[in-house]
Amino acid sequence: MTCTLGEVKNRADLIVYWGGNPAECHPRHFTKYALMPKGRFVPNGRKDRTMVLVDIRETPSVKAADIFLQVRPAKDFEMITVLRALVKGQPVDPQLVADTGLTVEQLQEFVDLMKKARFGVFFFGMGLSMTRGKHMNSAALLTLAAELNAFTKFVAMPMRGHGNVTGGDVIMRWTTGYPFGVNLARGYPRFNPGEYSTIDLLIRGDADAALILGADPGATMPQPCIDHLARIPTIVLDPKVTHTSRLARVHITTAVTGISAPGTAYRMDEIPLPLRPVLKSPYPTDEEVLRRIYKAVAAKPPLAVPVMPELAAV
Amino acid sequence: MSKTIFSLKERPSVPLEVEVFTPDVIAPLSRDEIRALPVFLGKRQCRLDDFFEVEGAGSDELEIHGDAGRVKWIGRGMTRGRITIHGDAGMHLGAYLKGGTIEVTGNASDWVGAEMTAGLIRIGGNAGGQIGAAYRGSLRGMKGGTILVEGSAGIEVGMRMRRGIIAVKGPVRDFAGLQMKGGTIVLMGGAEIRTGAWMVRGTIISLVPLRLMPTFSYACAYNPTFLRIYAKHLQAMGFTIPCEDQAGAYQRYTGDTSVPGKGEILVWRPHGS
Amino acid sequence: MLRIKGGKVYDPANGVNGVAKDVCVGDGKIVAEVEGGRTIDATGMVVFPGGVDVHTHVAGAALNFARAMIPEDHRRHKHFVRTLTTRGGIGGSTPTTFITGYLYAGLGYTTVNEAAMPILSARHTHEELRDTPIVDKSCLVLMANNEMLLDQIEAGELERARHIVAWNIWAAKAYGVKAVNPGGVTAWKWGKDAKSLNEPIAGFSKATPGKIISALANIVDDLGLPHPLHLHCNNLGAPGNYVTTLETMKLLDGNRAHMAHLQYHAYGGDDWSTMRSESVLIAEYFNAHPNLTTDAGAVLFGDTVTITADGPWQHILYKLTGRKWGNIDVENETGCGVVPYVYKEKNLVNAVQWAVGLELLLLIDDPWRVYLTTDHPNGAAFWRYPEIIRLLMDAQFRREQLKKLPPKALKRIFLAELNREYTLYEIAIITSAGPARALGLPQKGNLGIGADADVAIYNDSKDVFQMFSYPRYVIKGGEVVIEEGEIRKTVEGKGLLVRPTFDNKISDFIRPLFQQYYTMAFDNYPVEIERIEHPEFRPCKQSSR
Repeated sequence: MTCTLGEVKNRADLIVYWGGNPAECHPRHFTKYALMPKGRFVPNGRKDRTMVLVDIRETPSVKAADIFLQVRPAKDFEMITVLRALVKGQPVDPQLVADTGLTVEQLQEFVDLMKKARFGVFFFGMGLSMTRGKHMNSAALLTLAAELNAFTKFVAMPMRGHGNVTGGDVIMRWTTGYPFGVNLARGYPRFNPGEYSTIDLLIRGDADAALILGADPGATMPQPCIDHLARIPTIVLDPKVTHTSRLARVHITTAVTGISAPGTAYRMDEIPLPLRPVLKSPYPTDEEVLRRIYKAVAAKPPLAVPVMPELAAV
Repeated sequence: MSKTIFSLKERPSVPLEVEVFTPDVIAPLSRDEIRALPVFLGKRQCRLDDFFEVEGAGSDELEIHGDAGRVKWIGRGMTRGRITIHGDAGMHLGAYLKGGTIEVTGNASDWVGAEMTAGLIRIGGNAGGQIGAAYRGSLRGMKGGTILVEGSAGIEVGMRMRRGIIAVKGPVRDFAGLQMKGGTIVLMGGAEIRTGAWMVRGTIISLVPLRLMPTFSYACAYNPTFLRIYAKHLQAMGFTIPCEDQAGAYQRYTGDTSVPGKGEILVWRPHGS
Repeated sequence: MLRIKGGKVYDPANGVNGVAKDVCVGDGKIVAEVEGGRTIDATGMVVFPGGVDVHTHVAGAALNFARAMIPEDHRRHKHFVRTLTTRGGIGGSTPTTFITGYLYAGLGYTTVNEAAMPILSARHTHEELRDTPIVDKSCLVLMANNEMLLDQIEAGELERARHIVAWNIWAAKAYGVKAVNPGGVTAWKWGKDAKSLNEPIAGFSKATPGKIISALANIVDDLGLPHPLHLHCNNLGAPGNYVTTLETMKLLDGNRAHMAHLQYHAYGGDDWSTMRSESVLIAEYFNAHPNLTTDAGAVLFGDTVTITADGPWQHILYKLTGRKWGNIDVENETGCGVVPYVYKEKNLVNAVQWAVGLELLLLIDDPWRVYLTTDHPNGAAFWRYPEIIRLLMDAQFRREQLKKLPPKALKRIFLAELNREYTLYEIAIITSAGPARALGLPQKGNLGIGADADVAIYNDSKDVFQMFSYPRYVIKGGEVVIEEGEIRKTVEGKGLLVRPTFDNKISDFIRPLFQQYYTMAFDNYPVEIERIEHPEFRPCKQSSR
């Protein structure tokens, strides 16, 4: 259940930020999309909207909030599950609910607020999607949004970060059918988060070479991943010399996409925006480098197409 | 009974995928044919005998010796026979199992018995996560059969399972029985958090107190009759669960009301505690 | 240079009905004669113009959203391993883009019309189409819930509305105009629908679905677009909706119009338990009104995924099935809903749906006006078209399938009484010549001199399912792309475009409204022409009214 950001601007009267800190991480979010702008059906802008912030502690975003709900760390999944029950008028255990840091009464009030909204939206950040429960936390909020549609209009959207993550996701889906964690080793796409996702692959040491493009795992990933990247041949393509570059076998400096290289970026709501370079760069673009690498690889003798015996249909 | 014995020459440098490794494929083959079967080291197709010494011609009894912790898809979709692994086993062990038995003396990885429909899998050591579970996007996990784990297990044990039994002696991690649709999970060593989350139907039995979701509520304390039958069945396989009124009773919790579901969680409480 | 020698040629646009003759290709076109080059011996084979799919969903945000929702579908279906000539990928209900091209070509199809493209994400649609090899592509831009347009209709500013539509077609780099559930998708943004043609839409006091339909049909005709207004009627899928469909068709008297996936709009009954076929009444009206064309939108039993801009309908489907549901609302323009679905033989409603698609194809007399589609992937995946061809050509086989339906269904449908069997000539019309004509593409769907050299060569077999599933050769733009079941070459397809006339000053009108209601810079809105691969323009004719 989602929408493009203009829908939020034009219609949303209840904005819930969950596990994210837009004031610092998405600095234009309040002003351009979610809180301040006067929308077609929200003519008074901020005055027509209520903002709820759900997080484990007060961040700078709380200054913009009308309501702050402090949930205990690693209790979001429980909290959302309780909300799902309350939306349906189903019973919950008050003592266990209190473990989330909020009472049944507080959560019931929140449910009433959500049901009364004309158009509500959940924006969720890594505080939800990367904490204990991971994909189930995101699934929980998406399911809650879907279920609220029995009462009013509600959508949910992840607060994407780090450059063109959304673009990567979009293109992966149309070329492979899957958004991330795609294994192409057998000549066709396979998907299994936990098995083919990057951190898991590196921790287990399942990869024997790595090409890193537009990311700096040497700065952000757990130490076992970094150790493995240092052990295997690692190639980095980046405009800057990064932490990963320092442990890599090869670093190739490339032009900055969007400043010196053209392309398309997909906004967090998947709207494609053209990137118009303004400065020339002495460095090749990522695309040029990859095409040259690919050409060299393609010149090698191809691997045989596998012939398999008859396997069980599944 | 003739056997086919496979000895792993060395631990593969990257995961080795061996979908061919089932009695169904191997039994009718000669030793040379078996040695030539395709297996995949990452992107490279290799011969089975690049990694395994093979003794004997094809049979319904396959034995693996060595650390196969990086060997994936052993027993995929098999319908009969027996696979015994003297060592560890890699991911997707017995995935889509339709019959027969798989035994591992060491540890197994994630996705043991995923989406299986019948048969028996025994793990002598620890197992990973997603035992008997649904692969991503599938509406249902295992639909029958039995999975027994002597050690501990990871997250999402029995996720979306529909039927069958999973029993684990050691503790399991989060989300045991997540979105369960039926079947039985026996947690002899308890679990971490979020057991039975979003359950629709099915039974989770824990011999040790659990941290439950707020969307479960206490119903009663008793020793259900069906449990005697399960206890007898599990006893024969070396898994003992109490079911006698003299010893104690199961606290029954129902949930998950967020769905709303009709699942039950039975937590053993010995008398005097 | 290519000579296709001695095949039995079916070229309905030129009245050729199974005549053994040579077809010659030079420089990507059909020519009268060739010297040298390759000869394909097509003796004993059947030669068709390349297929044209007039309504399908193969690229863009909605489809890509669906891809993310059904990883189990991807796993379940045949995967495609990378070869020297082809990329790896997956098939199933929502094939990846490269595989989409291979699968269409693999059926002998060479032109596809992406039936629903929002302007805001048109760039995305075109990027996916660039990654769809072999076939030529056209796109229809979604307009019937465009709020800027609706405001003009509300204010009675129909002249300005025309300029806005024309500007938007060019901004999106589209080929034509699509209307989906006019007013209903707008209402869905408040959780509502628009079920009556004559009632004002939620949030408006004068604009009704009927007014939107009339306005758009007139605009499309005034602009002289090669393809008429392409309309997905209100109340899709609802029992009793045949009434809305008839009303809509009456409204379109005097205009050209293409009724999309008519099967979903031909139901009688009051609710799900009394739902029945009303294909006879629909076909009767349709037959008497030559201003209309349509495509079947037929359903086949099995798993698929429904993807449509009809948000309200998808929410209903979600509540009915309790399964997965996805929805994206696109600001100011449209939305889409995605629900994976299984059509089951034993399900009474599904049985009726299955029958209705076939009934319409059999009851509509003129094959030039009704085309073979499944509203891919809604009714079934496009690569199952050969199953429908068999059902149309073999009445005995059809009768056998009827036996598998629940007995109650037989009282709700007419299919048992229909004995018509399609000929190969008629199949060539509904899969190629007809849709090409409806799309206003004179260089497609035929093997006349000067036509694009898009040719499909099939075995001449009684087993039409096998025949149409595995063409012996497929030629696209004069290149042999498929030979003996293998993709030999992947060529790049063309992007078919129109450039309707509009007053340039309209952008001054649009700009401030855009800045106010949208969330991107106005200059980023139109799609740059450079993004269209091998663009080819079709002319707009002056007003045909």
